[in-house]
Amino acid sequence: MEKVGIVGYYQVKPETDIQMSRPEMIFYAARGALDYAGLKRDDLTTVISATNDYYDGKTISNCFTVEAGGAYLKDESKVEMDGAHAVNYGLMRCLSGHHKLALVWGASQPSTFYYSCIRVLENDPTFDRPINLLNDYTAAALGMRAYMNKFGVSVEDIAKVGVKNHKNAAKNPLAWNEAQLPDITVEDILNSEMLSNPVTKLMHALPCDGATALVLAPEGLAKKIIDDPVWITGVGLCQETYYLGDRDLSISVSMEKAAQKAYKLAGINDPRKDIDVVELFEHSAYEELVLAEALGLCEKGKGSSLSSEINGEIPINPSGGNIGAFTPCATGITRIIEAVKQIQGEAKGYQVKDANRAIAHGQIGFCAQNNIVFILEGGKR
Amino acid sequence: MKGEILTTKGAVRAEFDFWVGLYLDKFLDGLEQKKFIGNKCSKCGKVYIPPRKICGDCFEHIEEYVDLPDIGVLTNFTFTKWAISERRPRQSKNIKMIGLVKLDGADSAMLLPILKTEPENLKIGMKVQVVWSEKPQGQPTDIKGFKPIGGA
Ligand SMILES: [Zn+2]
Repeated sequence: MEKVGIVGYYQVKPETDIQMSRPEMIFYAARGALDYAGLKRDDLTTVISATNDYYDGKTISNCFTVEAGGAYLKDESKVEMDGAHAVNYGLMRCLSGHHKLALVWGASQPSTFYYSCIRVLENDPTFDRPINLLNDYTAAALGMRAYMNKFGVSVEDIAKVGVKNHKNAAKNPLAWNEAQLPDITVEDILNSEMLSNPVTKLMHALPCDGATALVLAPEGLAKKIIDDPVWITGVGLCQETYYLGDRDLSISVSMEKAAQKAYKLAGINDPRKDIDVVELFEHSAYEELVLAEALGLCEKGKGSSLSSEINGEIPINPSGGNIGAFTPCATGITRIIEAVKQIQGEAKGYQVKDANRAIAHGQIGFCAQNNIVFILEGGKR
Repeated sequence: MKGEILTTKGAVRAEFDFWVGLYLDKFLDGLEQKKFIGNKCSKCGKVYIPPRKICGDCFEHIEEYVDLPDIGVLTNFTFTKWAISERRPRQSKNIKMIGLVKLDGADSAMLLPILKTEPENLKIGMKVQVVWSEKPQGQPTDIKGFKPIGGA
């Protein structure tokens, strides 16, 4: 695949209640990414955003973010998915040869609505909505139980993923304050409020306000903008069925297929050897294990024995991941930015040693119905 | 939800008549007669309930309907004190038990309430049987839920 570089990025510090209007928050992210790259708005040829009309409380919500997002009198489009999908859209525009520079941003403000309630509107209106049993909590509970039951994994093993990510978040100044818990224990996680058995509050990604942005440029141009662009060398995406009752929730077929496509493009034969760090978008702790297994980082059912700490064999979510800050629509972009920071050696306080090749991931839908995998590489090898 | 800075209140509400298609219409007619009707892909043989127009594996129309029994297996479950609400979070008076139920002979499972037992008795693989509402109206909610049968 022809290379596209990430030449700028910015993360607005996620907050419980950000005390900014949506346009302000989006402006800081968009303008911050351009300033990082030393670019002007007029240098951009396209702007892609990731928002959700339901989360914004209005239809075609991108028509209100034109000025803030840097798209005024520009080529502009949006995806109604995770930010990682918007990056894919920006990537395609750069690869088309018709666009030179793409600004991609994602944002939402869950302090202004009830996230777990809005997600009920994702349900099939002809059966699941009248029956009314499916939301963010119950879907995660079904996924977690399916995984534990199939492979004999304990709740403690799942809680350990939450412990790792909350501790990692405490080292990342751009994680969500409420998720930065340096002294958390497995007991704390298991004793936190039960959302839907067996998922407790502290093993679940709880939404907060935030916006993130990055700038993409084709290879030749990227090298002129900054000395050390991080390159997107592979991408794969895959969608499976909506119906949870049709799927084996203990595995992720769509993640496996997405990863295989991305590995092929990037020339990766053995992800265990070739990948230095992984940033995953997980809604709940068990998902990190299911997704890591689908990436081929270990055998199925063995995710909890992976050495995934910051100084481990294959660090997963050194930034704290999505449990460290879940900013809906922005989080997939954040996962990519965190991977870029690792490759650049800029992840101060949670830096993985000698990271040069990373996986970043985004998803949408209940129990990760749709997954997108990016391979990112620096120039060190 | 904001503190000192002024916010404006708003709500989004829209009415829809969702068209269910003839295949789901058949399923709902079945419920009114306290019967389960699924459909079967002629290519791969997979049996879906509620019926689907298209088999995801085969990308083919499904034309054949099959009657299914009112008993099946609990393939997954959870229980929660939180009400499933699209308006605002609230707790229910009772803990709600929720299960994926695969009817005998079906390949897909339905997410439905589990009744007449306690959370601690729930087990993956247990046999369950339907509890119909007293006056079925041809709606998904005609299925009140499923209850354990046999040893449970
Ligand atoms: Zn078929």
